Amino acid sequence: MITNPFDYTAPASLSEALALIAGGAKPLAGGMSLIPMMKLRLASPEHLVDLGRLPELNYIRDEGGEIHIGAGTTHYDIESSPLLRGKCPLLHETATCIGDIQVRNRGTIGGSIAHADPAADYPAALQALEAKIVLRSSSGERVVPTTEFFLDTFTTALEPNEIVSEIVVPTEPGLTGTSYKKFYQPASGFAVVGVAARVRQEGGKFSLVRVGVTGYAGSSYRAVSVEEALLGKPANAESIKAAAAHAAEGRDANSDLHASAAYRGGLLVTYMIRALTSALERSS
Amino acid sequence: MKISGTSKVLPFPPERAYQLMQDPEVLAKAIPGCERLEKTGEDEYRLKMKMVLASLSGAFDGKVRLAEPVPPSSFRMIVEGSGKIGFMKGDGVLTLAARDGGTEVTYDGDAQVGGTMAAVGNRLIDTTAKLLIKRFFDKLAEQSA
Amino acid sequence: MATTVTKIDKLVGKRVRRKEDPRLITGTATYVDDIVIPAMNHAAVVRSPHGAAKIKSIDISKAAELPGVVAVFVGADVLGVGTVPCGADLPGLRRPVHHILAQDRVYFVGHPVAVVVASNRYIAADGADLVEVEYEPLQAVTDVEKALADGAPAVHPEWPDNKAFTFSQTGGEPDKAFAEADVVLKQRIISQRLVPNPMETRGVVAEWRQAERALTIYTSTQVPHLARTILAGMLGLEEHRMRVVAPEVGGGFGCKLNIYAEEALMGFIAMRTGRPVKWIESRRENFLTTIHGRGHVDYYEIAAKRDGTILGLRLKIIQDIGAYHQLLTPAIPTLSVLMMPGLYNFRNIQADIVGTFTNCVPTDAYRGAGRPEATYGIERMVDILAAELKMDPAEIRLKNFVSKDQFPFPTATGLNYDSGDYHATLNKALTEIGYSDLREKQAEARAQGKLMGIGISTYGEICAFGPSPATPAGGWESATVKVEPSGKVTVLTGSSPHGQGEETTYAQIAADELGVPLDDIVVLHGDTSIVQYGIGTFGSRNTAVGGSALYYALQDIKEKMKKFGATLLDCDEVEFENGKCRDTKSGKEVSVGEIAGASYRAMKLPPGTDPGLVATKFWEPPNFTYPFGAHIIVSEIDRETGHINILRYVAVDDIGNILNPLLVDGQLHGGAAQGLGQALWEQAVYDDNGQLVTGEFMDYAMPRARSMPWIESSHTCTPSPVNPLGVKGVGEAGTIGSTPAMVNSVIDALSPLGVRHVDMPLTPEKIWKIVAEAGA
Repeated sequence: MITNPFDYTAPASLSEALALIAGGAKPLAGGMSLIPMMKLRLASPEHLVDLGRLPELNYIRDEGGEIHIGAGTTHYDIESSPLLRGKCPLLHETATCIGDIQVRNRGTIGGSIAHADPAADYPAALQALEAKIVLRSSSGERVVPTTEFFLDTFTTALEPNEIVSEIVVPTEPGLTGTSYKKFYQPASGFAVVGVAARVRQEGGKFSLVRVGVTGYAGSSYRAVSVEEALLGKPANAESIKAAAAHAAEGRDANSDLHASAAYRGGLLVTYMIRALTSALERSS
Repeated sequence: MKISGTSKVLPFPPERAYQLMQDPEVLAKAIPGCERLEKTGEDEYRLKMKMVLASLSGAFDGKVRLAEPVPPSSFRMIVEGSGKIGFMKGDGVLTLAARDGGTEVTYDGDAQVGGTMAAVGNRLIDTTAKLLIKRFFDKLAEQSA
Repeated sequence: MATTVTKIDKLVGKRVRRKEDPRLITGTATYVDDIVIPAMNHAAVVRSPHGAAKIKSIDISKAAELPGVVAVFVGADVLGVGTVPCGADLPGLRRPVHHILAQDRVYFVGHPVAVVVASNRYIAADGADLVEVEYEPLQAVTDVEKALADGAPAVHPEWPDNKAFTFSQTGGEPDKAFAEADVVLKQRIISQRLVPNPMETRGVVAEWRQAERALTIYTSTQVPHLARTILAGMLGLEEHRMRVVAPEVGGGFGCKLNIYAEEALMGFIAMRTGRPVKWIESRRENFLTTIHGRGHVDYYEIAAKRDGTILGLRLKIIQDIGAYHQLLTPAIPTLSVLMMPGLYNFRNIQADIVGTFTNCVPTDAYRGAGRPEATYGIERMVDILAAELKMDPAEIRLKNFVSKDQFPFPTATGLNYDSGDYHATLNKALTEIGYSDLREKQAEARAQGKLMGIGISTYGEICAFGPSPATPAGGWESATVKVEPSGKVTVLTGSSPHGQGEETTYAQIAADELGVPLDDIVVLHGDTSIVQYGIGTFGSRNTAVGGSALYYALQDIKEKMKKFGATLLDCDEVEFENGKCRDTKSGKEVSVGEIAGASYRAMKLPPGTDPGLVATKFWEPPNFTYPFGAHIIVSEIDRETGHINILRYVAVDDIGNILNPLLVDGQLHGGAAQGLGQALWEQAVYDDNGQLVTGEFMDYAMPRARSMPWIESSHTCTPSPVNPLGVKGVGEAGTIGSTPAMVNSVIDALSPLGVRHVDMPLTPEKIWKIVAEAGA
């Protein structure tokens, strides 16, 4: 189908882009979520500002124990980055699960998290990584932790004239095991449930546990009860199974044609166990 | 599709909450995206709203109807609208209960979507309806007690 | 003197690469959207968002005023165009009047209400958005059983019971069989509505030349000649001044075996505006307005003796018709009745169909068209019977099969199965998969609490449509062979391949018969001004019927060539072999090229022979053909998620003689993918208001390459006596065989939990729920 008419600008610099956005234009990154909506005329922005050609947003840099990723970095670049594969394998693994090759060639991490689809993959990983999200507008910059960025369905901390400019993830000391496990919706490939786990063990006990969940509820979340239930416990299957019972954190499960709330609940526990088990194996 | 849930606790007692939810001026402020609510009959209002959610945006024309009043404990609200991007209808019973010095509202009903919105949004009807309902109660809570 | 005869290798039977492919994979083929005619306009259709509603008013003023909009048409404008036809004739069939644009009511979401014509497709889309339609929504009904219940909303006000037709057929003495049976088992079985989803959506370009009163319609169709006859009638045109062209067609699977409102509408627009017009269906429109497949709620009853002998079968089909009939809608479930006995020899059947209106897009032919539903039903019932009697599912099938010395076999439903050896085929499949070892493995797996299943499906299929008395619009096919003066060959086929590869298969046949290289043969189809009248491509008939017409035309060519050869060689007796005519006495030869040249130059005509080297054959098949096969699928269920893993897939298909194994593999794999799609993933779901909830690929789950198992494919061969090629047809067989094997496999896996039947699609949630509840 065909979009409503719109103006299009591809600015040469980020500051030019931000000025246009402050003036009401809508940012366009990979377009993998926005353009289908526009073609169905469910979204009709009057002016699109293309962020896709800005080198200021496209980088993956190792700086002082943290990896800084430009918001305009494509899923493909994240998936194929040797730096991320070595130092932040959770993000690499998550990127491989997104959509398909064509989507990964164009979709960007900034665009994806700004869209905040309840079934997107990155939010689970970013929750588990305790990533920092850098937001920029023409008037300045601020940093928001992941837990304060994803607020609700399609709702983030972004103010109307802000864009995501950078995502910062930790590089892990020693042996941190991570894993992203996802149950694919058979039509769309979105996460019916997706769990990202990040663990460390010391002396046979869990010394660090961070778990991010996507797809289950209205937006992604940290499974804090699971984390607390595991910290200090023996690093084994029984602990994981017991902790996984807390996976839903009292949140309401989504329900749709493809998965009822009850089924999601069952899948969540299963995938919680699988992600934690896999992360634990990788931590030794 | 069936939608049900419970609101956060509103900072006023059930009698006041009930009164507010029957007041068209309050409803006009609380219904997300409502631009105008004008009375067209007994407990019936014409609704003009603009829904904005992520990049999705569309204007809707429709109506709000209040029915089956059982003050201060329950009533039925029907909201329907249609626009270029499709049409929707929410029909549910709201039950008010005193809780922690305020009011907790339980809703139970049906949300239907048609047209283009239904195409893209089937998996999102549930989450979107809940989000809009949450926004409604958030806005309602902001009303002076 | 001895002459060495160069033996040219025969091409029939070889894996010849397709002549079609270079243009297809280099993007240089011409599909309907590639057709550009000077001054061509674009059309956008305004469609109903409601499943049922009255149209109170339509305001086209804003649309008509938009710069670039050329015209806007609504229902009142098209009353002079004929209604969309239904070619199936059943006694008592209720036919709703189906105008090409809605009149005072709309009957399904997507029902065309108005059309905007503009100078480009962007303005046409904007114009469509400006058309304001005021609807009064009515209560819709989309579930067939709800539609038949008392008090249901009437889809068509004149028929409040929502019945489009009823149909019954009895064979033998079913009541007696059921009365005498030791065991009677009943099951409700659903073959769900499916969206065919060809890769290319529909599309039409229409061009009208007023001075010649000539209309050309380019349309993505499987039946260009039938379309020409029907559209000429609908538009009040003289048939001989009309041309229909099926350009490259990107898949049909039966959904383009039809005549659609938009085809006539574009013709109407071209005639009214005097300028060419193009309409290309969006994917969303395709989901909503191109016919759907299947749509059965079936009630089965099987009667048997305790030793496993099947005595009879009762079947009640509630067929979801949709809001209207399309070309073959009511006929499709009657094909299910014809194949209800499957490969089994029982003689007693009772079938009753209730065709039911719903506020949905019509159903019609989709890969298998009635036969997948029937095969699925009987194969499920046989498994249910086997489980009840604690018999092995392979044993019970072997016990009840028609045996190889019973052919041609008259079925209880009035068919004559042409040839077959069902025992050999099933036994081959059982050997391939190592059946007895597999059952042992299953027992071990079950002891460990695993849910492993082995599912068998033995399918029979009726295809190569068919004898004309039994096929609406005729079942013959035509071929013309023209040997050009240079000796090159042009084949004109009345069939209309759209991905099946007949440009290659027919060329192989002609190459072998005439002894000319494959490259010297061109096969043309799809253009009614170039090719003689033909029926088209559907029902797996191209090779069996179209190929046979070609074969006979080639024989006529050979006879004529021999006459010319004899004249050229000045002898009485000639042999034709390897592209040469040889004097049997002297050994002297002339080539096809020399003969062709001579036939056109006509220096010396053989007695009683006309110049030229062209032959046309219209060939009427004496019967359908009946391919069959055995598919066995091994699966394992992940208890925690309900996900189904396919561990092995063995398919043994008997399609008679195989002319090109590469193409046959393609048909079987593709067919199996669609069959697995039905079993595991696909379903067209309407809500109670008539909204198609699975209206995009986001929600309608198609098979992917990564989800397909490796298919271990092999064949048995019982040639068909029905046609000279011995070919049965393969286009739909894979789809028919795969679905029951998959479902039987999953139910076999779940049988330790006491599960008897689960309806398709077998989504993970359905399976998970069963496992979770059984564990509770």
